[in-house]
Amino acid sequence: MKKSYQEINEKIKRGEAVVLTAEEVSEMGRTMSPAEVAGKVDVVTTATFGPMCSSGMFINTGHANPPIRMEKVTLNGVPVFSGIAAVDLYIGATENHPEDPAYGGAHVIEDLISGKDVELVAHAKGTDCYPLKHIHTTINRDNINEMVMFNPRNAYQNYPVAVNTTNRIKYTYMGSLLPRLGNANYSTSGELSPLLNDPELRTIGMGTRIFLGGTTGYVGWYGTQFKTNPELNEHGVPVSNAATLALIGDASMMSNSFIKAAYYEKYGVSVFVGIGIPIPLLDEEMAARVMIRNEQITTRILDYGDPEHPELGRTTYDKLMSGEIELNQKKIKTASLSSIYKAREIAEILKNLVKEGSFLLSEPVEMFPRGKGLKSLEIR
Amino acid sequence: MVLRFPADTVNEPITYTLIKEYDVLINILNADITHGKEGNLLIEMAGNENNVNEALVYLESKEVEISPVVKTILFREDLCIHCGACSSVCFPGALNMESRTGLLQFSPEKCVACELCIKACPLRLFELNFGVN
Repeated sequence: MKKSYQEINEKIKRGEAVVLTAEEVSEMGRTMSPAEVAGKVDVVTTATFGPMCSSGMFINTGHANPPIRMEKVTLNGVPVFSGIAAVDLYIGATENHPEDPAYGGAHVIEDLISGKDVELVAHAKGTDCYPLKHIHTTINRDNINEMVMFNPRNAYQNYPVAVNTTNRIKYTYMGSLLPRLGNANYSTSGELSPLLNDPELRTIGMGTRIFLGGTTGYVGWYGTQFKTNPELNEHGVPVSNAATLALIGDASMMSNSFIKAAYYEKYGVSVFVGIGIPIPLLDEEMAARVMIRNEQITTRILDYGDPEHPELGRTTYDKLMSGEIELNQKKIKTASLSSIYKAREIAEILKNLVKEGSFLLSEPVEMFPRGKGLKSLEIR
Repeated sequence: MVLRFPADTVNEPITYTLIKEYDVLINILNADITHGKEGNLLIEMAGNENNVNEALVYLESKEVEISPVVKTILFREDLCIHCGACSSVCFPGALNMESRTGLLQFSPEKCVACELCIKACPLRLFELNFGVN
């Protein structure tokens, strides 16, 4: 049985679409075949809420009178990129406050989304058309023209588990890693994760309408470090980090419940991004994909104690989520850096939006490239 | 412990005497002493049992008030997003992810105030509290 986007959207508009979360459809898959699931379910909602460093926000502050062509700019003391037009700025989530390593771009973004005033300081050389040389004022969500989140790399399709075999605690972007395999941290929502439910990217492409940070957003491009030639396991799922998404959305409509600034000790600032992606069950093949369960998703365990991150073993998400894995005959406590609780909340919200007819599915304008690998930076 | 110094002993080198004369290990965690007024000093003291006891007698002789304190961890649970970053470093098992709901559970009675969660939490929701016992 095949369904088109148009047919599914017509059902959504009539309030007749059957919508389940990816966890619910995985459970259903224990007793039903892909053909039965495809016949019964129209849309499956996937979600993730994890730290995603490659995120940021464009803002346009509006012009002062007299106008300034902002060159060196800080927001709450955090340097922001101003190498674009006069009052266009880009706040990178991981940019640090020079004197406070635990405060950075992500906190400025969260403050602006929360409606707080943020201190703007800008300097310029002054030009004939932009004579002002200094400005010191405050901006907030309501007194600027635009704030547009644009995240170059989000929603990684799978990610390794981090452990530490050295004798010292390691503070990493994968959290605090205790010495001698004292813990294991992972950061993917498993069977709920968007790109693990559509591993071949049949329904997620450029222009896909998504839930981003509490409002509607879009897939703008494939993400940076996009890789579509990874090793697959027996269920057709990449065993390591593979595809990624570049996402865009109106940050002035976002909520600080779904965009959260984070600081990882001795690493720096990052940001939790809440993402939900609806997947249309176009056919039996898509149904089989979204029925994937945690025990069918493999990931690699890497030693973050070694700068080259050698692989120490492999595991599956059912084991990771049980709270304990076994490695080198040792039981290791596991924890997720992404929030499964928040991912479930997003999947439920998106499910209800689709069910009530206020969130239609969009067919990608263009599909993503296939067979794309990664390059390394050669030092020469 | 918190040592409360009466105003007239604030100028005496009491910490120096404790270390030099009684051979105890002093770790100063917080100090709040203003010249001519009462002062508070939050310290950890360790060493040979006899030396520690004699040091305490010395402090009493100087009318320094001694209050034992307990380190506890304060957790702003209402702001938690339920990632598991703190739970994976919590070896006494005071912080645990409830696998069915995905919610973080904090059992303060199991906490030994090792402080690993303070650095592990990306939202900085844990802080150390020194309460007088």
